[in-house]
Amino acid sequence: MALNRKIAYIDLSTGKVETKPIPLEVRKKFLGGRGLDAYLLFNHTEKGIDPLGPKNTLMVSAGILTATCASATARTHIMAKSPLTDLLGSANMGGFFAPELAWAGFHHLVIKGKAEKPIYLWIHNGEIELRDASQLWGKTTTETQWAIREELGDEDIKSAVIGPAGENLVRIANVMTGIKNAAGRSGMGAVMGSKNLKAIAVRGTMDIKIAYPLEALEYNKRFIDQIVSAKVNQTQGTLGTPFIWGATNSWGGIRTRNFQYNQCEYADDIEPERIDEICTETMGPYHMTGCFGCQVHCRAQYRIPSGPYAGKYDEGPEYTSQGAFGGEPDCKNAVTVLTGNHLVDQWGMDNLETGSLISWAMELSEEGILTSKDIDGLDLRFGNDEALLEMIRRIAFREGWLGDTLAEGGIRAAEKIGKDSFEYLIQVKGMSNLHSDERATPALALGIATGSRGSDHLRSRPAIDLYHLPEEVLRKIYSNPVPYDGPLSSEHTSYVGKPWQVLWQELCYMGVDCLGICKYHTTFLGATLPNFEDWAKVIYYNTGLEITPTDIWTVAERCYNIERLFNLREGLTRDDPKKGDTLNHRYFDEPCRRGAPDVIGSKIDRKKFKKMIDEYYEHHGWDENGVPREETLKRLGLDKEPSHLL
Amino acid sequence: MAIDTEKLSGAESLRKTRTYGKVRCHNPSCMGRLQPRSGDDHVKCPTCGMEYRLVWVRPDFPRIRGPVWDVNRRLAQEVLAKKAAKKEGK
Repeated sequence: MALNRKIAYIDLSTGKVETKPIPLEVRKKFLGGRGLDAYLLFNHTEKGIDPLGPKNTLMVSAGILTATCASATARTHIMAKSPLTDLLGSANMGGFFAPELAWAGFHHLVIKGKAEKPIYLWIHNGEIELRDASQLWGKTTTETQWAIREELGDEDIKSAVIGPAGENLVRIANVMTGIKNAAGRSGMGAVMGSKNLKAIAVRGTMDIKIAYPLEALEYNKRFIDQIVSAKVNQTQGTLGTPFIWGATNSWGGIRTRNFQYNQCEYADDIEPERIDEICTETMGPYHMTGCFGCQVHCRAQYRIPSGPYAGKYDEGPEYTSQGAFGGEPDCKNAVTVLTGNHLVDQWGMDNLETGSLISWAMELSEEGILTSKDIDGLDLRFGNDEALLEMIRRIAFREGWLGDTLAEGGIRAAEKIGKDSFEYLIQVKGMSNLHSDERATPALALGIATGSRGSDHLRSRPAIDLYHLPEEVLRKIYSNPVPYDGPLSSEHTSYVGKPWQVLWQELCYMGVDCLGICKYHTTFLGATLPNFEDWAKVIYYNTGLEITPTDIWTVAERCYNIERLFNLREGLTRDDPKKGDTLNHRYFDEPCRRGAPDVIGSKIDRKKFKKMIDEYYEHHGWDENGVPREETLKRLGLDKEPSHLL
Repeated sequence: MAIDTEKLSGAESLRKTRTYGKVRCHNPSCMGRLQPRSGDDHVKCPTCGMEYRLVWVRPDFPRIRGPVWDVNRRLAQEVLAKKAAKKEGK
């Protein structure tokens, strides 16, 4: 059956490769993808190791449904201890890599040690080779992928690669596949760089056996209908994810000038429709494309229309790049957004983190905390497009004092800069926030504060909270697959019932991450998209694994708790401003200065926020410090971890 | 494993709640459903007065492109001033 894919253990120090089947018992407990990676991370790393040292273990995986008949199972998950946060590192990317890995015989890779010189892994039809990558070192992400294809003589090879930023151990470096698919968050590219691992190239033609192929295909038609009929996906298929930025900016949920404003006013040139116009002008009317097995096609293709990089091809920009290179630094120029997006894609850096850190430095410069000497003569004021693009380069190549400092990530940079710089850093657990401003939306604020990899919109964000859905609709969603009869509120400015919504979304996103499905195919931006109930059928028809929606919920809970155990082991405490479930004080102290009525003037109420955290912990079965209670661990079968089943 | 393929999941059953041809006012205290005429490039919320620029994903599918900046800024400032005055009055 589809579960016959293997796990490979690769020791880069010794060159030893060992492969094993993944026992059904482990599958049932953790499914695959992020969930199983979390188990492996907890079991294969020691407390307190250096994330950039050889003892860090890097997991690369496909979901349990990857390469089956199920839709949109393109996601690759990457996990290790994060060099950015010193806590859980976890990142996820679309494209075509994960299915190719599955066809090549593997669902999970566990990579340890450090190669003596640059190497890349070549994985094909059950075989794994370590190959010299000295000729690839220094190349951009796209150049690397094409050089590997040329060397191995196969244009269908898919690779997960790092760019110069990963080689330079920039702590916000990502792992890339294709033109723009990025496992962006938490510095996984730096972990690969620290291991002298330039790329993982895969190609496979092995069969994936489907348990009930006819039923799987038939059911998938229904699944596809559910996905393509959603209004949100029809919009994404037209405008891509930038539509989210546009809608959020409209009411005042976009942070601008680091965190000074919550709306990028008169930003018509970076609105999604303008970006779409440029894509149409440079690539023609049919410029949307997609990942493996996806019907949404949310990825735009474009060429940069003008400027020093005119004519360069790229994809996106995602809404994260609009925020990072548009709203946050207050650069209201589409060409700048498209160019910034291109540079981070090519050099292999997290767009979101890059833009956030530069915007932070701009505010520090404005406040006089960074002097002209610190910024190496650059005119680092808000709205300076050239300075923004130059800083991207300096971070990627660690050039100048500030480039090298920001390459260390926010917390380390704040320690180096000193003064009050940390007070201006918009982060949670050491990871920069998305470009969104959550001061008017308590549920979203709770989600970023408690995210297991740091501030993040893809771990628990109840985005549908913004739609003012009737309570009976909310109840239908949030009372399944486990009953919930507590309060729920349609008001997204309310604090009522939000901890449960955050927990539900947390487990929903863990679920898709275990299956390998894209989050745009679940209850993230659309209330009518598939979740636990729908997945049980897909899993059964494709893999033969009998699992109920409630079982999937429990698996997600188990996986989330093991991530929590990892973070606690590495020093997370509830109120630690650098490693805790906290927000920057500006969320509580500085009211929104822009946006719609009832957004302007709003801020997070400290007491109510604390109460939400208490309630959230309680729902999880954690104590008041956020530590899982013994009975919780017992219920989830985690009381004997690490158990070393794999 | 017995699977009832006829039964709709919770998410599937919510499809009937979808509204076409309408957009929601972006003012959190309003969130009214606005139904512009096909092809309109602007819509004004009759409840709170906010105004939006529109685009059409399809002829039957409008979307808010963004606010009419001058109008919505003014409305927000007025609300803020009222709140401040009320606070001072206390």
